[in-house]
Order: sequence, then structure tokens, then C-alpha cells
Amino acid sequence: MRQVFGYTLMLLRAYTRDFTALFFGFFFPLIFMGLFGILNFGAFGHVAVGIVDEASNADSQAFHAGLAEIETLQLSSGTSDAQLESLRKGDRDIVLVIPADFKIAPARQGAAVPTLTLYANQGRGEQVAVGSAILMQVIDQMSFAITQTAPVVAMKREEVAGRNLKYVDFLTPGIVGMTIMQLGVASVMFSFVVDRQRGVIRRIMATPISRRNYMAAHVLERLLLAVVQVLILLAVAVFAFKVSIVGSLGLVLAIAILGSVLFLCLGFAVTGFVTTENQAPAIMQLVTLPQMFLSGVFFSRDAVPAFLKPVSDVLPLTFLNDALRQVSTAGAGIVDVGSDLIGIVVWSAITFVIAFRFFKLEA
Amino acid sequence: MPPIVSVRELRKSYGQIKAVDGVSFDVAEREVFALLGPNGAGKTTTVEILEGLREADSGTALVAGVDVRKNPSGVKERIGVQLQQSAFPENFLAQEIVDLFALFYGRRVDSLALLRAVGLEDKARQKSEKLSGGQRQRLSIAVAMVNEPQVLFLDEPTTGLDPQARRNLWELIRSIRDRGTTVFLTTHYLDEAEVLCDRVAIMDNGRIIALDSPRSLITHLLGRGFSKPVQQQQASLEDVFLDLTGHALRED
Repeated sequence: MRQVFGYTLMLLRAYTRDFTALFFGFFFPLIFMGLFGILNFGAFGHVAVGIVDEASNADSQAFHAGLAEIETLQLSSGTSDAQLESLRKGDRDIVLVIPADFKIAPARQGAAVPTLTLYANQGRGEQVAVGSAILMQVIDQMSFAITQTAPVVAMKREEVAGRNLKYVDFLTPGIVGMTIMQLGVASVMFSFVVDRQRGVIRRIMATPISRRNYMAAHVLERLLLAVVQVLILLAVAVFAFKVSIVGSLGLVLAIAILGSVLFLCLGFAVTGFVTTENQAPAIMQLVTLPQMFLSGVFFSRDAVPAFLKPVSDVLPLTFLNDALRQVSTAGAGIVDVGSDLIGIVVWSAITFVIAFRFFKLEA
Repeated sequence: MPPIVSVRELRKSYGQIKAVDGVSFDVAEREVFALLGPNGAGKTTTVEILEGLREADSGTALVAGVDVRKNPSGVKERIGVQLQQSAFPENFLAQEIVDLFALFYGRRVDSLALLRAVGLEDKARQKSEKLSGGQRQRLSIAVAMVNEPQVLFLDEPTTGLDPQARRNLWELIRSIRDRGTTVFLTTHYLDEAEVLCDRVAIMDNGRIIALDSPRSLITHLLGRGFSKPVQQQQASLEDVFLDLTGHALRED
């Protein structure tokens, strides 16, 4: 035991001198968080609305001016052809055509009312939904104003404090999950492939240390590092980005350790198939890149295309991110994330078996 | 006194290639013994079997009284090794490397004293990967001594070193032998074997083709009526180089 702990401490001390590892382990995830946090990619942007005013009368201009006051809408106007072309190119989310017979007046019984035509960009469902809801609201308000009737129902809006999820709140658990994955896989793959190739492991195995103790120290070192890394990330998130962690911090850490075990196993499993230093970066990308984009690190998994959904659902990082996010943003307890934890354990078992079968300390 | 290394009919094949093909020899305590031979002669395979790193196909090998094939880890406790094509983990200071390997033997050592013994005391706080080739070899000898081994195995210790560093290392090896450790080395430098070793075994194609002291091997050859076709030069270019640069205690 003294040997394992002693070796672990010496590995950690050596790690603090490894500037590349420190950069990728500690600063890189922070840079990611800072970048995405500041850019606030997740914030709902504007809805680009193209107006085609075929009426060009006082009423249509008043309507247009009314829309211009709504911040969310980014208006532009032009001819029908030009606006529809922009819509096709993806520069507009919605194109609204104001018909020539447009007027704001009480409708006469039985007469046709002017019909606004709305062209929606199929690829931007969320923006279209928000944009058309706003348009409908504006039209309703105009109708009330003209007809002088009181609304049938009124809606009172109240902000609920605490559950007002900022993007960075959503992002933080994703970054934590991604960091655990990157470090788990990279810290195993790069160091073991290099040490194996350079004969470092051969030299150590010429001493009486058992393989079990050797492995135990390396795994322990990486688990301790993972905990420190997660704590630093969370500290920066909480203090610099005002992220609120709703659930238990202890549970977040426990899930992080469990996830770290999983990705260390995955790292050892994959390293079993890597023989040279040159292969390592490619294999690393192959394993981690799909998970970065399909497991909900930066964006909600709702954005994953339907045909990739079955894959996304079962990726190791999906379970880890989901569990971390549930606890951190929704205050979930251990029971609520039970299915995610089972997913993590199952993946750990699978990768452990592969690692046990294929990972070799010596070439 | 029984031999400290005793090898009988050792064999090891890789597919069709007989790397070690029935090798037998003894090494006496406190001698410097060399396996000499060209690359691919089977020197490293033989040494690695004795070090408990490779399994022999057949034959017996006793090292410091332990049967290597039955108890490889028992052998590892009793010997010190320097491997060919091996390296130390990165980002460790020289002194930490010594402490680390002591830990692998479950020992605590005076790492500075060990570094002093190989002339590296002033490099104790330097990363091992920043050391020069000769310094690294000396560090690896310091590391090989952490468990006070009965036999020190050195696999091509001077390959790739410049003349000063080689002579430096020879002196170190002699001082280790003088302190009571048997030294077993492999080399493909004949001059090295001649000046350093008490006995040499010449190996070729997995077999030992001659085994004696360098002096009697040479005497034997001369006894068969051998003479060099050309008059031996009184000094070699290497001697010129050493004379100009001075080999004694120069930092390499």
C-alpha cells in the first residue's frame, strides 16, 4: 500500500511539471468555458423577419412600425422575390407578406378580412415558432385596439427565480463531462503508448513491483487529478460565471468519479489497439469527437438529427453529461439519475473487459 | 565459491529463429564478465532471460542462487539492471528517479549518496530527460544500485557514448566491482571487453564460441601462429582525440 500511495504521489508531483498536460487538463477546459460562456451561444438570438409590404399604405406602415419596436425581431423589407430568395438562402427565418388590401379597420360582417401570408424557414423551427407567436400577439393587440373589446382572457406573466436556466448553467456540466472524457482517454493513451514505446514500462517491470501495484498507482493518480480538475472547473463556473449548482455538490463529484472510472477504462481499452505514438491522436479524435457533439456538451441533444439519435442515446458521455446536468441544473437526486448511473456502470464493465483482454503493458 | 550466475543449455526461439541456441556458462562472484558479439548474436535475449524479463524455452539459469525460470521476481530483488532501449519516466528529477526505483524495491535510500557515487550529485535537481547520454547512463547505473544488488547487468552500457563518457563509465564499473558487486555486461566493442573484463564469452548466432580471459584468448590466437598483416599503429585516432580533449573527469 505504501508503494501504491508513494508512487501515486510521485506521479502527481511529476504531473505538476508537465506543462502540456497541465495546459490541456486545466486551462483548456476553462478556455472553452470562458469562450462559450462569454459568447453565450445558447442564448436565443433574434428572429430575422422579412416584410413584403404590398399595401404600402398608412395602416401597413403603422403595422410595420409596431413590429420594429419589438426587440426580438430583426426586420428587413423588400420585394417579395428578394425576400423569398433570402429566406431560401437562410438569411430570413420568416417572410411576412402584407397584402395590397391591408387595412386596420373593424371587419364588416361577412366581408373577407385581409390575409397576411407567412413563409417560414423549415430549418429554423424554434425561431419560426417564437417569431410567429410574436406576430400573432401583435395582430391580436391591434384587433383589440380597433374593436375596443376587452380581451377575453388576460395572462399574467411571472418570472420564477432560481430555475431561470442561463446557458452557462447548462454548459458547465457539459464541460465537466467533456473534460472527464478527454482526460480519462488522453491521460491513459498518450502516457502509456509513449512509455511503452520508449521502454519506460519495461524498465519498471525489471524491478519487483507488481503489475497490480503499478496499475493501481496510475489509476489512483488519474482519479485524484480528475477530482481536482472538476473542483477547479466548478469553482471557476460558480465564482466567475455565477453558475448555480442546484443539486448536491457531493453527488456531482461522485458522478464525476464514476465517469472518470468509465473513461479511464475506455482509455485502457482503446490503448490496447494503439501501438505507436503517431496513431494516438487520430484514435483519440475518433473516440472523443463524436461524443463531444452527440452527447450534449455544448448544446442540447434535441439538436441531434433523428437518424443519429439512437447512437447519441447510448454514448458513454451522454449518460455522464445527463447525470451531471440533472443534478447540477435541476437538483436531481441519486434516484432520479439512476438510469444514467446504470448506463455509466454498464459502459465501465464493457470497457473494463475489453481493456483487460487487449491492454498490454509491454509491446 | 559457487558461481553467482550459472547457465546450462539455455534455449529460446522466436519462430524459426534460434536466438539462444544451447548456451552454458558460469560467472564467478566479483568478476566483470562480458557477453561479446555482433548485433543479433543473442546477447540481449540471454541477458533478459537472466534478468527474469523473458522466459526461456528450455535449460536452467541460476542467478544469485535463484532459479530464474521458477522465481523471476526473486531474481529481480537481487539484481540491478540497465536495459538497452529503455528510458525513465518524464518530468522526474534525477534524484526522484532514484527514490522512485527504490520505492519499487520497497526500500528507502540515500538518493544523493547514490548519485554522488556515479558523479551526478550536482544534477540531482535536473529532469532526467535533460541529462546528456553519458549522464543518463550513469543515472541508470545509480538506479540499478538502489537495491544493493549482488549482480549488476549492463546491456551495452557504452553504446552511443563519446570516448570520454565511455572511459568515465569504465572507471565507474570498475569501482562498482571493487566494492563487491559482480558485473555482467554485453558489448560489441572489443576494446571495451579487453580493458574492462576479467572474462569474456564470445557469442555468435545464439551460441557461445569462445570463453576465457581476454589475455588468454589473445595468447591462444597468437599460439596458433596468428599475426596481423599490417604493423600495429602505435597510437590510434582515438588516442589523439583523447590526448587533445583530456579524458579524465571531463563532463560529458
